[in-house]
Amino acid sequence: MPTFNDFVSTLKSDLLDFAKENLEEYKEELLKDGTLFIEKTKSDIERWTEGLASGALSKEDFEFLLKGKKDLAQMETLKQLGLSQIRITKITNGIIDVVVGSAVKTFL
Amino acid sequence: MNIYKIKPIFVFILIVVSYLTFNSCTSISVFSPEAYKQAVDLKVESLNLMSFATMPYADYEEEVIYLNTELDKAFEFSKGRPDNEISTEQWKILIDKGGNLIGGFLKRWEAEGTLSEMFVIEMQLQVSDAFDTIIGLESGKIDPSEFK
Repeated sequence: MPTFNDFVSTLKSDLLDFAKENLEEYKEELLKDGTLFIEKTKSDIERWTEGLASGALSKEDFEFLLKGKKDLAQMETLKQLGLSQIRITKITNGIIDVVVGSAVKTFL
Repeated sequence: MNIYKIKPIFVFILIVVSYLTFNSCTSISVFSPEAYKQAVDLKVESLNLMSFATMPYADYEEEVIYLNTELDKAFEFSKGRPDNEISTEQWKILIDKGGNLIGGFLKRWEAEGTLSEMFVIEMQLQVSDAFDTIIGLESGKIDPSEFK
């Protein structure tokens, strides 16, 4: 007859596997997105500086583009915030499955 | 099977599942194919109209007014969806006429008459990325069928 301790032990092990898999994947996605944004911003600003020096961009154009990059960074941050919430919802649903799955494995 | 041994386990599972279910319901809106399509269509229309900004604004005034109306509609649609504050805030930044993305760009075109070629090209890249943040968030949302 399985006991409550058996269930807790199975649940701990299942949750650990679940967390490892999901959190590692999320950490990698976040780092990839953040690095890409920084690299793109750097190359954009370099190109705009050249445009300003050559006269292809006015001072007002340059300022507008820089401020636009700030707005874009805010939108990107909001996207990441939203995706984090979605990830939490998915993880929560996954935990429910793990809890139920562990109970089924232990008692049925 | 000893019922007295099992009872606390089911109570425990019930508490955990109820807690997690309640918390998962208080997060973010589900995926909307309509919102996704609206953002994709407006991205294409915005980038297309922007490419004419090296020419006099007066020649494209009607198109700009139409696009602004469509952008306002997308913002209002987003605002009306439940638990959709994050996407709505994205739309607000994108279409803000005092800001520096599509709203500010169209306002500046109107104020200055014509804009320089490099500025237009660079702004198209920024506006394209800005729309992609909205599209990326929408496509990441959970499909309602996943809850069934």
